[in-house]
Amino acid sequence: MAKKKKVTLKLDHVSKSFAKIENDEVTHALNEIDLTMESGEFISLVGPSGCGKSTILRLVAGLIAPTTGKVTVDGKEIVEPSPERGMVFQKPTLFPWLTVKDNIAFSLKMQGKLRGNEEKVETMLKVIGLENFRDDYPGQLSGGMAQRVALVRSLINEPDILLLDEPLGALDAFTRMNMQDEILKIWQEKGQLAIMVTHDVDEAIYMGTRVIVMDANPGRVVANIKISEKYPRDRSSETFVRYRNEILNRLHFGGNRAD
Amino acid sequence: MGINKDSNKKKSAGTTNLAQLTRQQLRDLETKEKTVGQKVLDGIIMVFPVVCGIIAILEYLIVPNGSSNDNPNTYLGALIVFLCAYICYGLIALINKLRGSKLVLEKFRYRAPLFSALFLLLAGYDYLTLKTGIFTQPFVPCMNAILNIAWIDRAYLIESTLHTLRLLFLGYFIGVFLGLITGITCGYSRKVRYWIDPIIKFLGPIPTSTWIPIIMVIATSLFGGAVFIIALGSWFAVTVASMTGISNVDKDFFEAARTLGAKERQLVFRVAIPHAMPSILQGCTQAMSSACTAIMIAEMMGVKAGLGWYMTWAKSWSSYDKMFAALFVICIIFTVVTKILDLIKRRVLRWQNGVVK
Repeated sequence: MAKKKKVTLKLDHVSKSFAKIENDEVTHALNEIDLTMESGEFISLVGPSGCGKSTILRLVAGLIAPTTGKVTVDGKEIVEPSPERGMVFQKPTLFPWLTVKDNIAFSLKMQGKLRGNEEKVETMLKVIGLENFRDDYPGQLSGGMAQRVALVRSLINEPDILLLDEPLGALDAFTRMNMQDEILKIWQEKGQLAIMVTHDVDEAIYMGTRVIVMDANPGRVVANIKISEKYPRDRSSETFVRYRNEILNRLHFGGNRAD
Repeated sequence: MGINKDSNKKKSAGTTNLAQLTRQQLRDLETKEKTVGQKVLDGIIMVFPVVCGIIAILEYLIVPNGSSNDNPNTYLGALIVFLCAYICYGLIALINKLRGSKLVLEKFRYRAPLFSALFLLLAGYDYLTLKTGIFTQPFVPCMNAILNIAWIDRAYLIESTLHTLRLLFLGYFIGVFLGLITGITCGYSRKVRYWIDPIIKFLGPIPTSTWIPIIMVIATSLFGGAVFIIALGSWFAVTVASMTGISNVDKDFFEAARTLGAKERQLVFRVAIPHAMPSILQGCTQAMSSACTAIMIAEMMGVKAGLGWYMTWAKSWSSYDKMFAALFVICIIFTVVTKILDLIKRRVLRWQNGVVK
């Protein structure tokens, strides 16, 4: 597993609707989405809640199936979750009954690949600087530490696609900025395709090579903005502010939404 | 008892490198140093059980008996052994403390008042039974009589104990094993729950003891019938607990596990079961207490062996001392069994330690 292979992820006329529990109505979370993404890209998905950003991630992860349309990786349709597409959730969802080390090793163990790969677990521990917490249980970790563990837990498979569902949403501002840089560093080293859902426009611009702006009712893509600035980005630079204004405009901030 | 070395310890902890602080040192640093008054009080509390033990011995020896008392040395011996055990415990705690580990001594200090109470209780009981007969002899026999009869009838008592244990564990383990299977499959699979749920709803509310008369009539072997009753109670407790445990597993865990490459079977064994473990073990404890109740009722009502039977049998011969002896054995067995379960629980659920506190 020396060089990562290039992959192309395609959403082809993808719609996803959910039946409501309380009545007979149906929510249209995504409507006719067409997107193409490639290895080496860092895609930020922003938009109001209910616009279907997380639904896109869950479709790509294979946790749910589209109502109509197709989600494909290199032409192959996604039918079930796979360690090839690692996902980090907003909650760390570490298994509380496993130590930090065993949490990181979980995926290898499930695939029967742990034997002979123990050093990978150690490498991951080193990447996030938690070697001393190897044998601790998740209950003893802080939010930031737990999320770091969750991150490397899915990275250990060296996934072609890394799905980040608001992974930094629950963290404090400082931890958050630190982790933004850490995630960028990992992504730059491996060059996989990363797709991150966020509520934070600044975070989206700071991290993404492309920001996809979405709107709700029904969930759709309203803008696809390439961020061509070099890393590390300056949050107060003129271009940064321009990008921010453009995105906020697309999200109709200040004005009434015309649906 | 060893309270004067504290100040030295404090200083040495102060100079310890903070980076290499052990848990014990941290606690020493953060707890306030006890005042001289508190230390003296601690000392008194720890020595007091010895005083109480001597009171119990003197009470037994000096106060004249109200009724006859054969083999008077058995109880005396037991008291002395007991007292010596306490003193040894104290000495071990003291040695540990001198070597730098305060933990044993703290536990010892914590338990000391209970030992005092125990010795006083024994003295009081002896006074009320043997000495004054306020509790009439031989209906409420004195300790000495109970210990003597337990020794004399030991062969029979041991046989009964073994029988009870065999029945208890056989029924319990069958029940727990089947309960785990039904509970886990019900928790995980809707289809299985569809069929098992009505059975649980229908049979569940019936107390296990209700079955005993019926089993006595239809069972071909009483032993088998009793095993069935005990197993039924345990099965029910474990099924319900593990079913709830499994169906309460956060769906996020399953999703995370699936994206990490876990297959269906692994979701059950690597995610659902570990997650439901606290609930499952809770069910096992509950099953044990239901099994203990069921076995006593079964033995008293039909099974012709075991401690429960021994008690009713002793009563029919008016051997009240034997009854009490059996009662003590039952008490010891159930305490030990519960303690073992508790230890297992703590070991298995050690990951909860940080979370619960």
